[in-house]
Amino acid sequence: MRINDVTLKVGGEAGSGILTVGHMFAKLMQKSGLQVFLTNDYPSLIKGGHNTITVRANPQRIYALTAGIDILIALDKKTVQEHYRELREGGALIYDSGKLKEEDVKLERPDVRKIGVPLSKIATEAGGDIFFNQAAMGAMLALLKMDLAKYDHMIEKAFGRKGADIVAKNKQVVRAGADHVRTNYPDPFGINVNPVQTDARNLLINGNDALCSGAVAAGVHLVAEYPMSPSSSVLHWMAAHAVKYNIVVKHTEDEIAAMNWLCGAGFAGVRCLTATSGGGFSLMNEALGNAGIAEIPCVIINDMRCGPSTGLPTYTEQADLRFALHASQGEFPRIVAMPGDAQEAFWMMVDVFNMADLVQTPAIVLMDKYVAESVTTIPSIKAEQVRIDRGLLQTDAQMAEAANFKRHALTPSGISPRCIPGQKNGIHVCSSYEHDETGYTSEEASMRIAQIDKRERKMRAISPLLYQPAFFGDQSSDLLVVSWGSSKGPVMEALKLLAAKGKSVRYMHIRYACPFAADTISAALKRAKKSLIIEGNSEGQMRNFIREKTGLLIPELYRRYDGRPFEAEEVAAVIEERLLK
Amino acid sequence: MVTLAELAEPKHTVTWCPGCGDFAILVALKQALVKAGREPHQTVVVSGIGCSGKLPHFIKTYGFEGLHGRSLPAASAIKMANHALTVVDVGGDGDGYGIGMGHFIHTCRRNIDFTYIVHNNQIYGLTTGQTSPTSEKGFKTKSTPEGVLEEPVNPMALAISAGATFVARGFSGNLPHLADLMCQGIQHKGFAIIDVLQPCVTFNKLNTYEYFVKKVYKLDESNHDASDKTAALAKAEEWAEKIPIGVLYKVSKPTYEDGTPQLKEGPLVKQSLKRDVGALLAEFE
Ligand SMILES: Cc1ncc(C[n+]2csc(CCOP(=O)(O)OP(=O)(O)O)c2C)c(N)n1
Ligand code: SF4
Repeated sequence: MRINDVTLKVGGEAGSGILTVGHMFAKLMQKSGLQVFLTNDYPSLIKGGHNTITVRANPQRIYALTAGIDILIALDKKTVQEHYRELREGGALIYDSGKLKEEDVKLERPDVRKIGVPLSKIATEAGGDIFFNQAAMGAMLALLKMDLAKYDHMIEKAFGRKGADIVAKNKQVVRAGADHVRTNYPDPFGINVNPVQTDARNLLINGNDALCSGAVAAGVHLVAEYPMSPSSSVLHWMAAHAVKYNIVVKHTEDEIAAMNWLCGAGFAGVRCLTATSGGGFSLMNEALGNAGIAEIPCVIINDMRCGPSTGLPTYTEQADLRFALHASQGEFPRIVAMPGDAQEAFWMMVDVFNMADLVQTPAIVLMDKYVAESVTTIPSIKAEQVRIDRGLLQTDAQMAEAANFKRHALTPSGISPRCIPGQKNGIHVCSSYEHDETGYTSEEASMRIAQIDKRERKMRAISPLLYQPAFFGDQSSDLLVVSWGSSKGPVMEALKLLAAKGKSVRYMHIRYACPFAADTISAALKRAKKSLIIEGNSEGQMRNFIREKTGLLIPELYRRYDGRPFEAEEVAAVIEERLLK
Repeated sequence: MVTLAELAEPKHTVTWCPGCGDFAILVALKQALVKAGREPHQTVVVSGIGCSGKLPHFIKTYGFEGLHGRSLPAASAIKMANHALTVVDVGGDGDGYGIGMGHFIHTCRRNIDFTYIVHNNQIYGLTTGQTSPTSEKGFKTKSTPEGVLEEPVNPMALAISAGATFVARGFSGNLPHLADLMCQGIQHKGFAIIDVLQPCVTFNKLNTYEYFVKKVYKLDESNHDASDKTAALAKAEEWAEKIPIGVLYKVSKPTYEDGTPQLKEGPLVKQSLKRDVGALLAEFE
């Protein structure tokens, strides 16, 4: 009997509402004191096509999925036939016995428990298709021998607003699903979930919501965005919270407008944000440079998906690193941050807002579909640790005293005090042209050099403590795995799998490409006898970037660019093969 | 009270060609700001790129000289970030009606409270004389040596039909009239677009001062009803023997800011950045 470690997969046609079962199960597991990882796989379609959602629950923090599932809820034949082989020994297939015929659920795996439940019939009797998900939940809860009271409580919270009748109906459907399983399939299932009492208040959150929360905590006041998968949920979340937090959220006419809104808003003095994916980021390039030369702080999220062009809109990739590093003509400083999970997403968002204000330049947050949309439990965030630092933004009182104010003054640090329109004694033009210290257009050679150098110098003001890579695994090992951004999750899980076999390596997760912790990274590589880099693109972009910055070429490269995230077992096998052999 | 002298920027040499219609626009804008009583430090003049785009350097207010065709999004955001500011956007016809046309239409729809002044010289000035979206059919330029094949855009008709709430046309050859229009535009609550017939003496030898002096007439001296949309559209179509100047259309509608409760507590830029992060995160517990 396995306790409190279960992986569920739900599959069906896009638009069939299956996502709800996955999310409800994830929430219930969180409420039961377990850690959760949920991820989805869906095509770029609104109706039809094949959709799955996978949820793993376990007492330890989960960074990515591992292979194998325990319960498969199949809404259609395709789900059964494509996924039943993923079931672990003795796993269960729950299907709608009213809709799927005997031959649809014919399996070559006699160990799999087939559990037919008249899901649509139960739903129709209760009043309609919308209850389908609850019937499936009931069946699953009975299988896992879970007490329904906890779930009842969730139903009350979720549907309380809609009235007692709706709450009662939902509960009734859950019971009908559960009763059917208890009566017809009484044999014990190999896995039980027993709620754990814990004081830890963790959060169930996806990467995009974590970025949004980080931005709100950092004091964002204006969001301008044009929808594009997988970044659209940033727009939706922000719009839903706009009035509550006094954030102006604008769905602009296009991404060019969005980025130019940021230039205007940043200049006017508010913290501002946009989110997009590669296509939209391409359109933002010109204005990104405007923010660079005019020294305007702002934050741009690029949730990467497979490119080039429209690519694979709903699949993940890490192929925009080089693009983010060089986007827009000319040379200007930028921050490029690559959070590896939702927890990092929150804190790095707070940090990049502060960095952008400190060095008065745009910050790009590179996420990808996998982290953006995967929902995980993360340890509770200590709100009191959020710090807001606006750098050399001058107060009205400071400006009242100002004389001969030069917005782009050539200071030793490169950072010039910044004033905003509305303040006295600070009148200047914020210009996309090269300019002198006052902001006036200048094409003089010496001033050009001085302004380029000044802007370049600014980056050194960022504390190196903020952009160091994170190290995991065995710190004494001379075998090194390197990755960045969303590859973190699968590597962290791979380390667990290796540990179970008594094996270990050192792992370096690179969190920032700009500023780049070249010294630390170089030292770690030099210390390692063997090293391997894992990244989700075909060129090995980070590997090449590291070589450019440190002169060191990581000998082993493992890539994936099929749009699918790395799997833990796959990564563990590569580490064994290339480092541990 | 702000004076013309305070708005002068003597340190910066004006770089327009002698005789250019842009000079009158600059003077008219200063007069309008003085008449409307807008303080220089509470005013932002925004521009795109073009001869017109140089204007922010020649007036002593805050300025934002952004990208070619992209001044409207920047100006919109400046106003939304700090709606206590007076925002005036200036640009060229290529800027606003060519590369920036998408932003133009959507900005008309939005009715954010700022003023947009288009230096409409029917040519690309800064890039030395190519056709513009308002160039007349058949007009020969460097990029259309055989003559323009397309119909010119009609910015006034587009603005009226897209929902702009103050639509006017001025002429660089009539400074007092132009200054008055700009003052009205600045005082109008909502998005005000003023298209200015601005002779480019260097590259446009067709649409000259003489060309316009013969054709323009003032709407306020005719019996045009600027609140009548149909009449306004009819006036917008007039571009042959006679060209109307003045306010074509004016209507009072709620602004975008009015519909944004986030601004009730005052300009965004004045609001605290501190949020109750604990309560925010509770929704994920
Ligand atoms: C993206 C981009 N494309 C092209 C240019 C080059 N450019 C600068 S100004 C201009 C057109 C100028 O014409 P107009 O907007 O009518 O303004 P004017 O100079 O006549 O005042 C062009 C094409 C540019 N700056 N940016
Ligand atoms: S080129 Fe034309 S628009 Fe430009 S400054 Fe000269 S006259 Fe004016």
